Amino acid sequence: MFVQLGAAKPLSKLASDQYKTYVRLLPKRGVIYDRNLRELAVSINLNSIFLDPELVEDKESAAQKLSGVLGIDAEKILQKLNKDKRFVWLARKLDPAVERAARNLHIKGVDFIKEPQRVYPNATLASHITGFVGLDDEGLEGVELLFDDHLKGTIGWRYSIRDAKQREVPGYEYREIPPADGNDVVLTIDNVVQAIAEKELDNSFKKYNAKGANIIVMDPYTGAILALASRPTYDPNDIKAYPAEARRNRAICDFFEPGSSFKIVTATAVLEEGVVDAGDEFFCENGEFKWSSHTYHDHKPYGWLAFRDVIKYSSNIGTMKSAIKLGSSGLYRYMKRFGFGKKTGIGLPGEVTGIMRHPNQWSKLSLCSMSMGQEVAVTAIQLACAISSIANGGYFVRPNIIDRVQDRTGNVLEHFEPKKMHRVVSEDTAEKMRQILRGVVDGGTGRFAEVEGYFPAGKTGTAQKVEPNGTYSHRNFTASFIGFLPYDKPRFVVVVTMDEPRPQYYGGTVCAPVFKKVAAQLMGYYKIEPR
Amino acid sequence: MKDILKAHKILVYIFTLTIIALVYVNQQALIYQMGLSVKENYQIYSKLVDHNRILGYNVLNLKSPVSLQTRLLAKKVELNMPRKWQVVKIESSPTKIVRKDAAKRGLFASLFIIGREAEASPNINSYTPISH
Repeated sequence: MFVQLGAAKPLSKLASDQYKTYVRLLPKRGVIYDRNLRELAVSINLNSIFLDPELVEDKESAAQKLSGVLGIDAEKILQKLNKDKRFVWLARKLDPAVERAARNLHIKGVDFIKEPQRVYPNATLASHITGFVGLDDEGLEGVELLFDDHLKGTIGWRYSIRDAKQREVPGYEYREIPPADGNDVVLTIDNVVQAIAEKELDNSFKKYNAKGANIIVMDPYTGAILALASRPTYDPNDIKAYPAEARRNRAICDFFEPGSSFKIVTATAVLEEGVVDAGDEFFCENGEFKWSSHTYHDHKPYGWLAFRDVIKYSSNIGTMKSAIKLGSSGLYRYMKRFGFGKKTGIGLPGEVTGIMRHPNQWSKLSLCSMSMGQEVAVTAIQLACAISSIANGGYFVRPNIIDRVQDRTGNVLEHFEPKKMHRVVSEDTAEKMRQILRGVVDGGTGRFAEVEGYFPAGKTGTAQKVEPNGTYSHRNFTASFIGFLPYDKPRFVVVVTMDEPRPQYYGGTVCAPVFKKVAAQLMGYYKIEPR
Repeated sequence: MKDILKAHKILVYIFTLTIIALVYVNQQALIYQMGLSVKENYQIYSKLVDHNRILGYNVLNLKSPVSLQTRLLAKKVELNMPRKWQVVKIESSPTKIVRKDAAKRGLFASLFIIGREAEASPNINSYTPISH
């Protein structure tokens, strides 16, 4: 009577707990594609080994056998086998060949469980963009982190009954909610362009023994990033083999003083405001110019130069004199319009704003220094946006690396439209700047960027780095080249930066050749004929 | 007589119930067996799908530009873009060539030419790089 009436409920629950089972149904993580739907990150299932120490009969022999197959120290395996637990991980996500060998040992108490493994077929290619996932398949960096909610899907579950051997009895499911697989993310990156950019960047990075390097290839009209790479890099398939330093996406996370590349801002501002015309002549003081308490130098002594040649030969003194005509507030206004001092909105995790102080905080030297790219810190992606504004006829575009999110059947769930933000300069000034920048490559400091038949334009930059004591270094430089091609109808913007290259350190020598090689291959890939 | 009939009826009921119970148990056993066999087949299927995915990954890996690049460099095959002087550009339409020739010939000379001269048929819409 007591069993039937008094203890019925708890006993029935006890019984149900014994024969009912709850099975988690794992979803498949979404794929990351490039713009042509080539896979950049996919998921496969691999088996992991776990132990039930209570069931293992001869522990020492089992440890020896498993050690031979898995390459794990037998002593460590024995320690795990001696644990007072019913479930101990031995090795996770095994190579299929190793798993087969381990299965063939037929050791009682050693079992296998399937786990999803994220793999990146292109290894290091675009690793700073895709990012990587943790051991439990959660996004930790890059697009994997940014779109983790879309990619990971929803876990399903099933209530079922189990037999005496704890096996699920099929056909006796009580209730099942199937898992929802993750959505796919399509990037604006082109795998081939990315490979070209990375190969050329890598060659120069190694050749010049640089501390770091970046390259960005961008469509100046839509802001679509076709390639973005940083050096040093890492393979997301084997994260532990690389230092944390290699995982940093320097193109958006690192800021630096851009040096002469920044002269595009000063030049555009003075032309747009009408304080200077391209043909106006400036006396460049034969390479030495005293302003306030400081003496500024040019890399070569110049006398009288037309403003277009001031930029062509990258005269600091000529640029400063034009900036003095414009004034602090004018320069600051254009720096803001070009998007410096704030995030570009590319959306990748870790983007920084750079450093751009308000004129209230400027010293007497700041106007001159900033006009040639000192006392201001920018990111490579900000430079790409700035040069795009000139290439596309004068408007700021938000850089975009995600094209769309789609479900497994290809239905678009979210589309990231290119966004024109605001006008930076007039079409007319942009046109003048394109011609001036063409001059930089056509016989100026950027002549090593020339691509026969395609008429590129751009600006070189070589900036002294700041030493820990606050002075400008004479040994460490940041080299850069920012450009586009063809200059009259730009198709692509390419930005190359190199941190502490050695022994050469000029942007025109170190970065311009990278631009040239990448640009030439881009033209071939997109079948653009030379003129 | 009535009792015999009653007993007979009860026996029939018991027999029927027993048969039904046996059929039920048999059906349950069959369901269980079928379930296990479905599960086994599903395991084989998912194993094959997993294997397929791994092979697919290997194919992707081999097709990756990085791996192709490495293999080409290992074989010392360095592909370069043709230079401008290495490219011969062919007019897109053969008729344009004929018209151009006619223009060069002048109106008077054209009067003495009845039909089209024999001419090579260029592969239109393409330009051919010449390797040196």
